[in-house]
Amino acid sequence: MDSSAPRTSAEARRARILAGLAAAASLVTAAVAVPGTAHELDDRLPGPVTMDFVPPPPGSYPLHAIMRAPDGPVLDLDGRRLRLSRFTAGKITLLGFIYTSCADSRGCPLAYQVFHTVRHRVAEDPELRHRVRLVSLSFDPVRDTPAVMRQYAAEAPRNGVEWAFLTTELPRTLVPLLDGFGQDVRIELDARGRPAGPLAHVLKVFLLDERAIVREIYTVSYLFADVILNDIKTLRLEDSPPRRTVP
Amino acid sequence: MRRIRVGKKFLGAIVGIVALVGALEAGADETCNSPYMGNLIKGQEDYLYVWALGVKGSGDGADKLVTIDVNPASSRYGKVIHKVPVGGGRGEAHHMGFTDDRRFLWAGGLDNSRISIFDVGSDPARPKLVQTIANMPAKTGFVGPHTFYAMPGRMLVQGLSNTKDGGGVTGMALYSNKGELIATYPMPTTDGGDGYGYDVAINPQKNVLLTSSFTGRKNYMRNLGDLVKDAEAMKRFGNTMVIWDLKAMKPRKVLSVPGAPLEIRWSLKDGDSWAITASALTSKLWLVKPDASGEWQAKEVGVIGDPAKIPLPVDISINKDGTGLWVNTFMDGKTRYFDLSNPEQPKQTYERVTGKQVNMISQSWDGTRVYIASSLLANWDKAGADDEQFVRGFRWDGKELTPAFEVDFNKEKLGRAHHMKLGSKTMKAAYGLERTANLR
Repeated sequence: MDSSAPRTSAEARRARILAGLAAAASLVTAAVAVPGTAHELDDRLPGPVTMDFVPPPPGSYPLHAIMRAPDGPVLDLDGRRLRLSRFTAGKITLLGFIYTSCADSRGCPLAYQVFHTVRHRVAEDPELRHRVRLVSLSFDPVRDTPAVMRQYAAEAPRNGVEWAFLTTELPRTLVPLLDGFGQDVRIELDARGRPAGPLAHVLKVFLLDERAIVREIYTVSYLFADVILNDIKTLRLEDSPPRRTVP
Repeated sequence: MRRIRVGKKFLGAIVGIVALVGALEAGADETCNSPYMGNLIKGQEDYLYVWALGVKGSGDGADKLVTIDVNPASSRYGKVIHKVPVGGGRGEAHHMGFTDDRRFLWAGGLDNSRISIFDVGSDPARPKLVQTIANMPAKTGFVGPHTFYAMPGRMLVQGLSNTKDGGGVTGMALYSNKGELIATYPMPTTDGGDGYGYDVAINPQKNVLLTSSFTGRKNYMRNLGDLVKDAEAMKRFGNTMVIWDLKAMKPRKVLSVPGAPLEIRWSLKDGDSWAITASALTSKLWLVKPDASGEWQAKEVGVIGDPAKIPLPVDISINKDGTGLWVNTFMDGKTRYFDLSNPEQPKQTYERVTGKQVNMISQSWDGTRVYIASSLLANWDKAGADDEQFVRGFRWDGKELTPAFEVDFNKEKLGRAHHMKLGSKTMKAAYGLERTANLR
């Protein structure tokens, strides 16, 4: 066996994953030069998504335990290595993956806007203000350094509601988090299978209870601040969280 | 198992009864996917995944996922390039659905109630079986996983039957994308509900889940000739659709739609808030939309062929802007196109016989490519020379369907061609293999 070759299928898989991630990261840079194309294949519903219904009142419906949030090392804005669980347990948490160079109005900027709205309304509610946090975690560790994330975070002025901006040190520390949340990232390939476009992903935002259990997942087709706020209040109203075994 | 030979003489003899025979197709093509699937294929698709029923004595006899190269620019165009047989015997392979990230394809068996999960993200040309869920009946009480509908991070599975009596009272099961059962939702049996299920379709902006209804295992697995002679059994078909509060997953209103309403298609046009379905037994098109007061209603808006001749509409496919609808009718082997410019008054503008028996129909996002498969159910398909088993590709120029390729499933010993989904080599996941490793 070649000493440089992966020794197991798992290692081979890991090597392929890291290679793919490196390629993906390089393509993120390409996305900067091609604004608006990052989600080209996701462009099914042009324009802003509208909510044409009155959401059911908080506490009138269950939020099932979907899965346990993954844990792993992350970097805060000061470059400190911390565990993600520091930011997913102890408070109701709204978490979304972003990359700062994302230009698609229906991608990360939409998530940022909804996060901002939710945060503003949570700040106005003394019952929620100190029990809810927001987390924006970059899936572009190559470009989104703590310094870059700090610039990004500066656009969100303090209002008493925690909003953590996190990144990862290396692709290999990011992959388990993406995998654990089920957040896809895709590289567009041309007909010959060569990288042909920017990074693409299906926008997902995760609502976690205080035990770091994912209780709801939103996508661009259902990312409404009113619904999220009602879900947060529904979690607060729970007398006892579901004790079902969590996957 | 004895199978019936469906010929003109037979049809004439049972014309009054067979009108109650349900069809069992729910479609799924690029314009009919879950709205939570953002990564649609809007250009040329490369692959057609076909979920095929095994036939005893034909090849390995197993249910299998067949991959066909459908890119005209490929040297393998129109050829089978990959096959994945699954265990569990012949389980009445039926329908499939992608997860929201399009990395995995879930496929169900109506007889053995097994759910096979294929990884199509790691190598779209070579799907791989990575997980099997075999305990759905034991865990949920539901039998016959039919529709697989992507929700964010989850898969909503509509059952057709139940473990207690094999009848049509059933429910939905919600799984995580990793295959863990999260919740179950029984179909309503009060306020007009018959408890039956078939297809599911979501309108997120309206917070509406719409469901339809078919029949139970005792009927859909029964020999067709026996079934149509059993007047009591023929009464046990669904006659309802249900409007659900999607967020709460609670029934809001039961709509009366007689005659087994099957596939549900929401218009994808911005601003539209209507869905259309076809009732198999009565051969009618039904429109579901809010009235002036915002109350959801269902109303009959047209007929498909001559209902008295039992054309049996078995699958429909709406185009990307909600202005046209393909309808396949099993008995006469016809593919029809309806102008839906005014959904209140659909008008048939085209028809062509596309096979001796036709079932599923799928179209590309731009509508210029149409794919048709032949099989309805193992015990309901025609016999002898009428039992064609194929996938046929066509070109559609807005006026005429032109044959482009055919795969003869009988000749190639692939079984009965049923549900179809599209794939693309450009959809390769950046690091999907890691997820695969986590699946059991």
